[in-house]
Amino acid sequence: MKRLSAWRERLIDFCFPAESDTWLAVLRIGLGLDVVLYALSLRDDWNYFLAGTGHGLISRNLGEAILSLESHLVPTLGWLVNLGTHIGLHEETVLGVAWICLLVSSCGVLIGLASRFSAILAWFLHLCAAKSGGFVSYGVDNFMTIGLFYLMLSPLPDQYSLDWRLRKSESRDPQLVGFWRRVLQLHLCIIYFFSGLAKCLGSGWWDGSNIWRALIRPPFNIIDPETLVRWKYLFPVSGIFICLLEIGYPVFIWSSKTRKIWLISICAMHAGIGLAMGMYLFAFIIIILNVAAFGPGLIRTDLRTYQLGTVGKALIN
Amino acid sequence: MPLSKKRVYLAGLALQLLLIITVSSRDTFWLLSKSKTIFPESCKKFWRRSEQIASTPLGQRLPPSNPVRQILTGYLHLSGIEIGYGFFAPNIPNSYKLVFELRFPDGRVEYKLPRVSNAASVLRVATLLDMIGRTRSEAFRQTMVKMLADSMWREHADATMIRAIFGSVVLPSAAEFEQGKRESYEFLYAYDFNVTEKSSQQSTP
Repeated sequence: MKRLSAWRERLIDFCFPAESDTWLAVLRIGLGLDVVLYALSLRDDWNYFLAGTGHGLISRNLGEAILSLESHLVPTLGWLVNLGTHIGLHEETVLGVAWICLLVSSCGVLIGLASRFSAILAWFLHLCAAKSGGFVSYGVDNFMTIGLFYLMLSPLPDQYSLDWRLRKSESRDPQLVGFWRRVLQLHLCIIYFFSGLAKCLGSGWWDGSNIWRALIRPPFNIIDPETLVRWKYLFPVSGIFICLLEIGYPVFIWSSKTRKIWLISICAMHAGIGLAMGMYLFAFIIIILNVAAFGPGLIRTDLRTYQLGTVGKALIN
Repeated sequence: MPLSKKRVYLAGLALQLLLIITVSSRDTFWLLSKSKTIFPESCKKFWRRSEQIASTPLGQRLPPSNPVRQILTGYLHLSGIEIGYGFFAPNIPNSYKLVFELRFPDGRVEYKLPRVSNAASVLRVATLLDMIGRTRSEAFRQTMVKMLADSMWREHADATMIRAIFGSVVLPSAAEFEQGKRESYEFLYAYDFNVTEKSSQQSTP
């Protein structure tokens, strides 16, 4: 019984470490910037990707119809278009307003103005766009939804936001701030474990052929294969390195001795993927999630901002 | 923070992590059942069964209209955890390419690719082509290609016929590349869309 009680206390201590909200500021600013870039990257193709039948690349209505078979609770741009129709707005106008609102809300998230409202609005509008354009959505949209979902639930505003300076908001419960950081940290561990596991199960990551294929596969083939092939002896090493880096993440990211090297390596890997394969938004969002989850606290000056967290305790003791 | 409140948060965290692990497991089993992996082919039946088992707590085996399934699936989408994380795994498949052959009344023939404005959008169209290439439903594939052909027609209203040629881009290995082999285009499907008949015909290799 005593052991069970001690175990429960340790679990609570682990899940509710008292933390500063630096990580939340990193997440907010990073996500704000990411959504701004997302909106700008889609500026010219927004209507083309998201228009209804007979107006765009593919029909938004078909994607929404398939999604509604799964669940009626998932918001889509169709909801907004229907709402707009009731007040006499054309589909094109509603889509344009949605894009502007997404850009404005992401700027709100970025500077921390009406932080909570901006985060909820950005999450909602991005989700509507990602789900309505499900046929043209990929991993970056999932990671943005994950990040925005946690951001809007976290104790905003943080001390670096404009809200904080304008309204002199009360300090948030450091344990609650720490709890949401743990949620993000644990989620990332699961992501990397399964991503690493799936890679380890394919033979192409062990002999490096998947690295080669990933880099020459259209539309990721931005490096000339003639240049790439000169580095072919590095492919097996890189493949094994990526597998081990990802599958080892849930173990080595927690230890203070290996956290810095693992975090730097994983961010370098994503930056490399972003640059070599043109997946800039994807690389940016995943680096932001990693840095927000495990970055603050890595450098000594930042450690001083911790009060009762695990790292802070070590310093005090 | 009071202990009772912490317990509520802990329950929420446990549920969230359970859902993420279940979805990730289900999708990993799916990958194993569909792809070539280090496991023998005979294991595929086991992976399929495991995928079905993992789908059960997610309500995926309940009727689509079941409220539990609707709520669970809705939550998975709202929190962005409805899919697993097998990016570029276990192996990297070939990519797909869609080329439109446009025929004009004066006999001209032009070849076009789906139009997008920047590199970020190219990635999104590639996702769409992957989906069209991988689907087992011919009806779905034809519907999607027809929609893409429609968008092409809106930009070239004077074309009298559009042939959509869908193929797979076959990638050489590094060793083959050194020996002079380059990426090739393997024909998979072709669909003819005629402006006067407003009908489509399909041909396969």
